[in-house]
Amino acid sequence: MKKLIFFILFSSLITSLALARSTGCKEGNCDNGYGKWVYTDKTTYEGEWVATKKHGQGTETWPNGYIYKGEFKESQWNGTGILFFPDGSTYEGEWANGFMNGEGTFTWSDGKQKKGIWKNGSFQE
Amino acid sequence: MEVSKNSFKTLSEPFKQFSGLVGIIILIFLTFFILNNIFGEGDELVAKMKIEEERIAEERKLNKLISSLPSGVLVSFDGTDNFKLSDELYEAVCKATKLIPQRAIMGANFLNFRAHEIYTINGNKIDETFVKWDDEKNKCIAGFVVSGNNVGVDETVKVSGEALSFLSTGIDTRVYFIKNF
Repeated sequence: MKKLIFFILFSSLITSLALARSTGCKEGNCDNGYGKWVYTDKTTYEGEWVATKKHGQGTETWPNGYIYKGEFKESQWNGTGILFFPDGSTYEGEWANGFMNGEGTFTWSDGKQKKGIWKNGSFQE
Repeated sequence: MEVSKNSFKTLSEPFKQFSGLVGIIILIFLTFFILNNIFGEGDELVAKMKIEEERIAEERKLNKLISSLPSGVLVSFDGTDNFKLSDELYEAVCKATKLIPQRAIMGANFLNFRAHEIYTINGNKIDETFVKWDDEKNKCIAGFVVSGNNVGVDETVKVSGEALSFLSTGIDTRVYFIKNF
């Protein structure tokens, strides 16, 4: 029984250490400056940091294929940027609070486009 | 009565033993028949067992298929370096997939602000996820339901769309991209 408890604790320690080594700030300065951060689910952010927050120009890549390239403010997608969807669709335009807000163009993977004003991810007819 | 008793006594010993054996067998069968009628579900139970057996066989078949797939991202569309699923594999993977990871949900929420709000307010809690094969459209449909109190109003939002990519871990498969636009 003691051996089992020791084994479980030891395994947890090794797993935590392995995770800690593979996540976090991997390159550069992720406090103030330019750096690359890797999250536990393999999402990465590479770009500018201000006071430990994503702020300025950067690229966020999700493991399932979403890629956002553009402006960040207080760690959120804010300003102008382009989001690539996993199937090849894109939205290029203005962002606010992590959503399509303002003027932008949505392009489907087959080339079809929708251009205009967006509010919280919805196209305004 | 006395006559029949005497005539039984006159019967040969092997015949008597055989009759006793037949009697016991009949009694056992009768007992099981009565008990089965009282407690058993008969044909209904057999039908249920058959369905369960078929389900297990189908699950084994799907598990075998999943373990044969390459680990990584499996897609149903062109234009990426990922493993492209054939129509048959797409259907099979869809039927075998149960899990939807958080990033897939967050991605689908980009085009559903209400769902995103409820999801965030309720600490990323999901009520229900579903992955099902639509026979009519020949598409894999995946989605989730979020509910909660949003600025004093109880809301439930269902988000669904076509599951276009999956992650194969070698043990299971997960929906990776729900196209809800």
